[in-house]
Amino acid sequence: MRLKTFRSYFEATARQRVAGVFDKNSFAELCPPSEQFGSPHLKHFNIPLSFDDGVVVGDVLLGGMKICCAAQEGRFMGGAIGEVHSAKIVGILKRCLKKKPEAMVFLFDSGGVRLQEANAGEIGVAEIIRALLDVRYAGIPVIGAIGGSCGVFGGAGIISGCCDALVVSEEARIGVSGPEVIETNMGVDVFDSRDRALVWRTCGGKHRYILEMADDIVENSMEAFRNALIKLMKIKKTYDLAGLEKEHEILKKRSTDFSDCRDGFDVWRKIGFSDVEKIPSLTVEDLKAQQKNRGGVK
Amino acid sequence: MTVNEVLNKVFPLGSKVEIENNIVSGEGRTAAGIVQIIGTCNNTVIGVDEILALSVKFLEVMRENPGRPVLMMVDNNGQKMALNDELLGLNQYIAHLVKLQDMARRNSHKVIALVYGNSIAGGFIAFGLCAGDTYALEGSNTSVMALPAVARVTKLPLEYLEELSKTVAVFAPGVKNFYLAGGLQSVWCDDLNQCLENALKEDQCSDMRSRIGMERGGRSAAWNMTQKILDEQ
Repeated sequence: MRLKTFRSYFEATARQRVAGVFDKNSFAELCPPSEQFGSPHLKHFNIPLSFDDGVVVGDVLLGGMKICCAAQEGRFMGGAIGEVHSAKIVGILKRCLKKKPEAMVFLFDSGGVRLQEANAGEIGVAEIIRALLDVRYAGIPVIGAIGGSCGVFGGAGIISGCCDALVVSEEARIGVSGPEVIETNMGVDVFDSRDRALVWRTCGGKHRYILEMADDIVENSMEAFRNALIKLMKIKKTYDLAGLEKEHEILKKRSTDFSDCRDGFDVWRKIGFSDVEKIPSLTVEDLKAQQKNRGGVK
Repeated sequence: MTVNEVLNKVFPLGSKVEIENNIVSGEGRTAAGIVQIIGTCNNTVIGVDEILALSVKFLEVMRENPGRPVLMMVDNNGQKMALNDELLGLNQYIAHLVKLQDMARRNSHKVIALVYGNSIAGGFIAFGLCAGDTYALEGSNTSVMALPAVARVTKLPLEYLEELSKTVAVFAPGVKNFYLAGGLQSVWCDDLNQCLENALKEDQCSDMRSRIGMERGGRSAAWNMTQKILDEQ
């Protein structure tokens, strides 16, 4: 029964996602809220603490395999990255080098650096990236999932771009400067952030999948994310110079091919999709079928 | 100071750079050998085009001069805020540039970033904070967001934030605050050539920033938090 098994990934909290995506009752949280590690800085801003600082980390099983995981809580300060938040993620990444799990899975949900502790958050992002690339260099795949209400923006968006593979839902949004930030700084003529359809065509899950920035796109359910992650963690990409040279060619070609595009529609048309107006309403399965028929961007 | 004024002080034995579309590239001479110079100037913003140009320079030095130290000359007003760049996936472009810096360091290049102008928000992550070691020139400017904008977002009075910024290093803009939080290895002044020679001797093998931030008192919680998660059974 679909109604019984369908559980929204988008609506869930970080802990519900950990419980719903990974193997039942296998999660061992590290530094749980009972140990009360909140941010030491938010008191200056009269903001109540969260005793996990908006991120859950620990050891867990996925499809019977030992992995390490981090899950950001978008409901606490938009999943923003502060001092303790980033230190917990660095900790779980360094732990990967010690415990040698089958994979590191990162359930993203973050608007980026937390302004109230901006310097610590900004440096924290750089530390996360360095630790993440250490994990990849050690041959342990780092897989990300994006489908929460905050998407990934700012530093979190950059971290997501450093993973081996990503799974997104249609609801996912990936970027650096969010539409509101661009509108505030550059004006409504540059980007009208209230045009939700334009926002999704610019940074939404389908567009990112079509551009091959995400390896899989799934419907908004725990089961769908779980199944996709189990598949993706078997992907072994090597992190080396040859791989980066290839990535460079892909990114160069993309910027040349779509330099004059101002809308997802323009990109999809150039790639060779017919009926681009219908893409926003396509099911995930239909989109994947069309992407496959096209043979990808390359 | 302009990029050439700074380079003249860093490389008294001589340096030569070309500047094209605010991308700086060339070589500098030190007693220990040639250093590759890769940078930006004129407070440029870091968008897709800038990233591709900088990435090419990193790929070139890894291919043509394996092991040669790289000095990144950092000056930017943040990431480019434009619909087209976001449409193309700017986050993936920044991640690419960051990975190239990381890979250069793994391939035995010393990767040294020197902030000599501005370095802001996503621009600082893209080009500066992901080097092997990050330094700033005295008088340069590092920040995530200016205080008036922080006041708007946090809905706190600007006067309050200005007062708070005098004692709380963790959120306020400025080189001193980034230094206290461990984000800068040191602040360069006086003999800049000696500063570079010292930087070239660092081994860049491990990321000690949270420990340094704790020792300097600007970031007291991070190091212990990370160690606790690492050490649990």
